[in-house]
Amino acid sequence: MEDIQEILEDFLVEAFELIEQLDQNLVELEGNPDDLELLNSIFRVAHTIKGSSSFLNFDILTGLTHHMEDVLNKARHGDLKLTPEVMDVVLESIDLMKSLLHAIRDSGNDTSVGIDITDICRRLDIISNGEPVANVVVAAAEVDESPTPTYEENDDNTDYSKLSDKEVEDEIERLLKMRKEEDRKRKETSSAAKAAAVPTPSFESLKDGDEETPKVVEPIVAKRASAEANAPAKKESASAMEQTIRVEVKRLDHLMNLIGELVLGKNRLLKIYDDVEERYEGEKFLEELNQVVSSISLVTTDLQIAVMKTRMLPIAKVFNKFPRMVRDLSRELGKQIELEISGEETELDKSIVEEIGDPLVHIIRNSCDHGIEDGATRRANGKAEMGLIQLKAYNEGNHIVIEITDDGKGLDPDLLRSKAVEKGMITEREADAMTDKEAFALIFRPSLSTAKVVTNVSGRGVGMDVVKTNIEKLNGIIDVDSEVGHGTVIKLKIPLTLAIIQALLVGAQEEYYAIPLASVLETVRIPLDEIYTIEGKNVLRLRDEVLSLVRLSDIFGVKQVYEGGEHTYVVVIGLAESKLGVVVDTLVGQEEIVIKSLGDYLQGIEGIAGATIRGDGRVTLIVDVAALMNLAKGITVDIRASAEAVVKTKTVPSDYIVLAVDDSAMDRNIMKKSMEPIGVKVLEASNGQEALNMLKSAEYSIDAVLIDIEMPRMDGYTLAGEIRKYSKYKNLPLIAVTSRTSKSDRLRGVESGMSEYITKPYSPEYLESVVRKNIKL
Amino acid sequence: MNDKLNQILQKQQQQVDEPHKKEDDVIQLVGFIIGQEEYAVPILSIQEIIKPIEYTRVPSVPTYILGVFNLRGSVIPLIDLRSKFKMDPAKVTEDTRYIVMKGVDNTAGFVIDRLTEAIRIKSSRIGPPPETIHAEKGMVYGIGMRDENILTILKVEQLLKRDF
Repeated sequence: MEDIQEILEDFLVEAFELIEQLDQNLVELEGNPDDLELLNSIFRVAHTIKGSSSFLNFDILTGLTHHMEDVLNKARHGDLKLTPEVMDVVLESIDLMKSLLHAIRDSGNDTSVGIDITDICRRLDIISNGEPVANVVVAAAEVDESPTPTYEENDDNTDYSKLSDKEVEDEIERLLKMRKEEDRKRKETSSAAKAAAVPTPSFESLKDGDEETPKVVEPIVAKRASAEANAPAKKESASAMEQTIRVEVKRLDHLMNLIGELVLGKNRLLKIYDDVEERYEGEKFLEELNQVVSSISLVTTDLQIAVMKTRMLPIAKVFNKFPRMVRDLSRELGKQIELEISGEETELDKSIVEEIGDPLVHIIRNSCDHGIEDGATRRANGKAEMGLIQLKAYNEGNHIVIEITDDGKGLDPDLLRSKAVEKGMITEREADAMTDKEAFALIFRPSLSTAKVVTNVSGRGVGMDVVKTNIEKLNGIIDVDSEVGHGTVIKLKIPLTLAIIQALLVGAQEEYYAIPLASVLETVRIPLDEIYTIEGKNVLRLRDEVLSLVRLSDIFGVKQVYEGGEHTYVVVIGLAESKLGVVVDTLVGQEEIVIKSLGDYLQGIEGIAGATIRGDGRVTLIVDVAALMNLAKGITVDIRASAEAVVKTKTVPSDYIVLAVDDSAMDRNIMKKSMEPIGVKVLEASNGQEALNMLKSAEYSIDAVLIDIEMPRMDGYTLAGEIRKYSKYKNLPLIAVTSRTSKSDRLRGVESGMSEYITKPYSPEYLESVVRKNIKL
Repeated sequence: MNDKLNQILQKQQQQVDEPHKKEDDVIQLVGFIIGQEEYAVPILSIQEIIKPIEYTRVPSVPTYILGVFNLRGSVIPLIDLRSKFKMDPAKVTEDTRYIVMKGVDNTAGFVIDRLTEAIRIKSSRIGPPPETIHAEKGMVYGIGMRDENILTILKVEQLLKRDF
């Protein structure tokens, strides 16, 4: 019983693969009806499915493929011309075949779904009988009122439907024996072929063998032969094709997760190395450590790429269904359309391949329906009657670009603008301010369609919205370009993988966020006075574009702890067809990050796509660019005004607080005494750790710190370094007060971030003046 | 002599048997303090208890969600029980702990002021929650009576349920 189940599964996997191939070959054949090689391979595919399904007792499927095979066989012998009408029927029967196979997969038999094949069989019969070719000798011998099998040169003409159970069993027994015999023969043939060491596969010999082979034996032989016939250019030997192994996707996902952990570990190691390098500069062991760290980081990257590659599928998986689709559409719409595919070998992550299908279907349908004009119009416009759609895929850096080009009538930006205004999506003024590119982007808005009539292909204004949503989900970018009368180019730019991405780390006040680098177009540093406000919105003129601006800290409600300088950084992000400038306080840099989910509890927080763990072990949130763009619309903070409204709460000297850090109580007292004349409040800490905790707790707003260098627990240099790690303390005056007077000590003070360096002993007046200068009193 | 031995053996047997009998209706809890009150959760729902570590704020969530932290490679939400129970915020002290609780499909860390002890309590000594507790509505499993004080036993599944 289990054996049967296994055979059934094998059959299904094989059948689905074959049928996909069949579809493609048939469409190709229509354009090239004399290609005997192609016809032969199609015939064999049909035959293989028939053979296997009769072996497994799927009578309906067997019957259907049998009738189909009749027609194909005639065509193969030149007795029948494959007109588009004939092809329609054949393709229709292939669709039926697919439904039957689905039924078999779901319910284990082909009878339960009640698919009726009598009509299609009758039509197939009419085709194979009804043509005037009936007088041809071969056909005459075979055409009968009953659907007699027409296996060419087969010694076996048994009609299984007429056999009793017992007879069927005997037949199977007999066929199995033959199959075994054939298997043995085949092995000999192929090993003989290998021994001959011919670079080309033993296609000829296989084909010969195949012709004498009874039908049940055929599946294996035919499959191999057709596979080879299908890829004659590759000239791969059959044995090379068996060098693959099917692996559960779940296992690969697990592997990918583990690699993710490894990448995090690597990032952490790199960070630690950086710290160590700073501290122990010039030490010998650093060299060795450096080698280990870089080799680990190299191997990790390679490993990651290797695992990513195992998850990659050629985009042909998706592209393959389009020739058939375009063919059907062109028949339905009464247009002549040719589809040209290139770059189908380009590889993409499996999860992306699964998502990309739908958007492409919609784009291509749109191109067929709205893009390409009918034959008469094209001729009148001086174009070739045959419309052309090009589907192209290629790699560009860490992205794959899919380009859909048609030579149809193109998009009319003015028409789009007026349509959008008519539907109330945009105002008249907005429409006037729109560039052509922005107008093209309107096609992605839901319920906007320029089609005058709604056909059952498109025109409802839903499809392109689907495109946008799906591409955004993949962090992709859509670019539309069009010229009236010449056609449209739609470019989809999609990242290669989803689990591990490159990100730009930015700081908003004291918080850090990761923006997927795929969505980052550029970063610029601008003076604040270049930000203008138009209708309550902040905008920036960047080259010839006007860019809306929004502060990241306004979107995420980040607590304002310090005010920036006169310049600020703008990260220009682009998603699908829109752009936005995000104002951030710091740019940290580019990093490879592993996307982690926030878990069920925090699922679906607007603006956050997930989290990652950085090299220092902290969690950094990843920005959801699509949601961010939405959130930005609701924010009306005047950036310039709020940046200029510096909150000056401290007016009198007693509002100011100076922190004195020294392990000697006497020294702290001297400092206190020296500052008495200024009238500031003085806090004390006896070591670096204590001082750091006071600063971290943010209980007091400290205006300056006096730091002794030599202290227990944490020395002055380390303290200064730690303080400078906080962006809000970037400009906090740190005054070293020490008896270390050598030049190298001073230098180290500067390196660790001290702003002043006072050597002991000092006069109280000197300290007072330095503090005054630094807190501007 | 033989009698005595038998007696001892019997006694030992009793001792071995008795805890089993008791264990059927004894619940093991971990007690902790938030504000002035003592709370407890079943020991089996606790994944681990850690000292406070750094966390990252998450935007647009209720204030009782402090953010997320990194627990050996997993990103775990951190919930402030004081704030969730509408108490005044308190400073992190030496005694502050994060209790990481694990539910069916969620894991989260909870900030508590101080741990007390592991508690064994008979289920017969657990009463239903009083109806007047508003801030903790639905989160209370029952009230445990102890010799010297009472315990509020929390429902972990409810604590881990997203309510915003």
